[in-house]
Amino acid sequence: METGATTFHSIGTTTDWVVMVIYFLAVMLFGSYFGRYTKTTSDFFFGGRRFSWWLITMSIVATGVGSHSFVKYSAKGFQHGISSTMTYLNDWFFVPFFMFGWLPILVYSRIRSIPEYFEKRFSPSARFLATILLLLYMIGYIGIGFLTLGKAVIPMLPKAFVLFGVTFPITLMGAIIVIAIITGIYITFGGQTAVIFTDLLQGFILLFAGFALFFIGISYLGGFDVFWDLLPIEWKLPLADFNKPPGFNFVGIFWQDAIAGSIGFLFMNQGLIMRFLACKNVNEGRKAAAVNILFILPLSAIVVGNAGWIGKAISISTPSIVSPDTSPDQIFVVVANIVASPGIFGFIMAALTAALMSTVDTLINATAAIFINDVYRPINRFLNSIGKGSPITDRHELVAARWASVAITSLGVLAVLAFKNFPTVYEAHGYFHSTLTPPLVVAIFFGVFWKRFSPAGVITTFVGGVALMIIGARYPAFFIAPFDHGIEMNPSRPYSYIRALYNTFACIGVGMLVTFTSELQDKLIIKLKKRSSSKIEMSVLSAIICLIMFFIIIGTGDLTIDTIFTVLIVVIVPILTVYFVTYNEEEATKGLVASSIKEAKRMFKGSAPNNEIGEKIEVYFEIKNQEDTKIYFSKNDMKRMSASPGDLVYLCDKRKWLGGLKSIHSVYGDPHNDDGKVYIDQGQSETGLFSDGYTLVAEKEM
Amino acid sequence: MDYFSHSWLPFMYLYGLGGLLFISGIFITIRSGSLNLDSISHWRWFWTLIFGLVWYMSIHASLTLAALGFVNFAFIIMASVILVSSFATYWIINRKVI
Repeated sequence: METGATTFHSIGTTTDWVVMVIYFLAVMLFGSYFGRYTKTTSDFFFGGRRFSWWLITMSIVATGVGSHSFVKYSAKGFQHGISSTMTYLNDWFFVPFFMFGWLPILVYSRIRSIPEYFEKRFSPSARFLATILLLLYMIGYIGIGFLTLGKAVIPMLPKAFVLFGVTFPITLMGAIIVIAIITGIYITFGGQTAVIFTDLLQGFILLFAGFALFFIGISYLGGFDVFWDLLPIEWKLPLADFNKPPGFNFVGIFWQDAIAGSIGFLFMNQGLIMRFLACKNVNEGRKAAAVNILFILPLSAIVVGNAGWIGKAISISTPSIVSPDTSPDQIFVVVANIVASPGIFGFIMAALTAALMSTVDTLINATAAIFINDVYRPINRFLNSIGKGSPITDRHELVAARWASVAITSLGVLAVLAFKNFPTVYEAHGYFHSTLTPPLVVAIFFGVFWKRFSPAGVITTFVGGVALMIIGARYPAFFIAPFDHGIEMNPSRPYSYIRALYNTFACIGVGMLVTFTSELQDKLIIKLKKRSSSKIEMSVLSAIICLIMFFIIIGTGDLTIDTIFTVLIVVIVPILTVYFVTYNEEEATKGLVASSIKEAKRMFKGSAPNNEIGEKIEVYFEIKNQEDTKIYFSKNDMKRMSASPGDLVYLCDKRKWLGGLKSIHSVYGDPHNDDGKVYIDQGQSETGLFSDGYTLVAEKEM
Repeated sequence: MDYFSHSWLPFMYLYGLGGLLFISGIFITIRSGSLNLDSISHWRWFWTLIFGLVWYMSIHASLTLAALGFVNFAFIIMASVILVSSFATYWIINRKVI
């Protein structure tokens, strides 16, 4: 909490609580309805790769808006004005890299999690390190989500409640634990399809609720002109002051959010990536991303920040109603309560908390996906390889995924402890992004766009980059100050945002240094391998490096020693990696770097892609049990689609409002002569959720 | 009061450095072949990407001008971008081959 800030309790009426409870029940019922479509782990995590762009776009709104919450942007809007929108309006710079680099690679290489990419592109050890970093990132993100939820709900709750004569104080952590239980129950039984559909509903409601609050607030103030004239010029400008104050400045936020945050959100947020992977094809994913960033994000920026702007205007015109000292993290709730009538306030609060829950449940689902893909399956593979495992069925994995969701929810609650002492959620989130994203962001970026980037480069970026980041955090005046752009150092939380520049620079520097010196490392290893004792020597060196890393983490208390240790890490880790990891650049980069997307498409299909443009056609399905999993169209229909046997096809219910829920992907079989008919088997009909008598639309995928 | 460090300086930094990154992105994806301008679909995406940058620049420029009191200029910029983009979208969508 802000020192000396005014805080609130017991805001709202019984009507508001009734509205909130009804809202939550309705949303949970809606999610449970679609949860019945979850049959496999693919459905649980990816919704079966079947959805249309508009459905994914709207479902991303709830995830995006929730994660960049009403609470934190209203707080910054109240403290600094319209520049609270900065972080929503700076995501376009990396979109070319995403649309034509990362997204097609993810889809065509059939990668289910980011660490899996690291194993395919580099080595299992790179996957192991990426898994640790990514789990830390995701669990931290869940912690931030829970913290925001707690801060949003606390002003509505009393300071304490009495049960059987005993008084229980309501604390932030207590509220968070209750919220975590509700969220955990929902996600555990819903899965990705439920999350996507719940988020779709909430996406619309959120935009509606946010704009409703804006218009009610403007009307409360007496019109837009009154509102605009009340705000000082500094509050109207869309970008913050270049380098002051330390708690909210343009250049720090540019590096923390526009660079580390944007790449982190687009490239390594497993929750968002799973949404894009749930799209029916790459082009739909691009459309979802473009519409979301171009049009929905600017609208969302108004939706999430306007309570703060209105709060500021009211605090200028009538400070007795909204005190300028109001705790920034409570301003959203305070303003909503002042300008909205009972019931409407409950609806707005329900929309807010539901949005935050959307973010958290998406992240929990995504983290469970990482756990299953990068921890559970590799461990089982290992156990099977030594004869101690048992065959793993999809049902086993689904159960494990649900238990993983419960465990991750608990860890997310624990993660709140790391962030709860920051003055605002915004600063906690900024610090978190600046610190955790750079190593993974740099590794993914170099991995996708730099063919020469090798396991030595990526592992040293992880280990050496983290070592440099740790000593940077320990000695900010020495390491981060040269990058500070004139931002004053706050001794209690030095360089919350601009540290992202130093951290990114450190990771890029390490990655480039190691990659450009790869020939030297190779020559050295060839010489070393000629020695009979080389294996023992390298093993001892590995143990020493682990010890040095341990000392860097706990700190020696001496700048020179810490720096020497870090240099040793950066020099020795690539040598160890080259010695222990077998790597063939040509094989490892096939279909996994931007320059080999054509190869990736070919691998995805299993043969040369058919890029001829064909029509979409309407057909009725008929069930015929086949020996293979292909589907069969007539000669004329295939000609209209410009398709040949072996090409990939997407078959979908004609009703567009279903957004692809009822659909399948398959392969064209040899043609028959019944125009307007497609033969599928019973399993395909069940997977596609097709209903008898409804028209289907077929289109060639590639 | 001088608002340069609160208005046009961050604007120039944002679109100077951000623009450089954006152009690098376009250049790298074209060079790697993943953005293939010979394909009509990719060609449309290329123009969508360019539109995105102009769109965001115009939003920030208009808001800055409006905050500094030049509301009419802000309106003209936004209206022009929307008008030109609408015509460009119509032209791009209706073009079937490059």
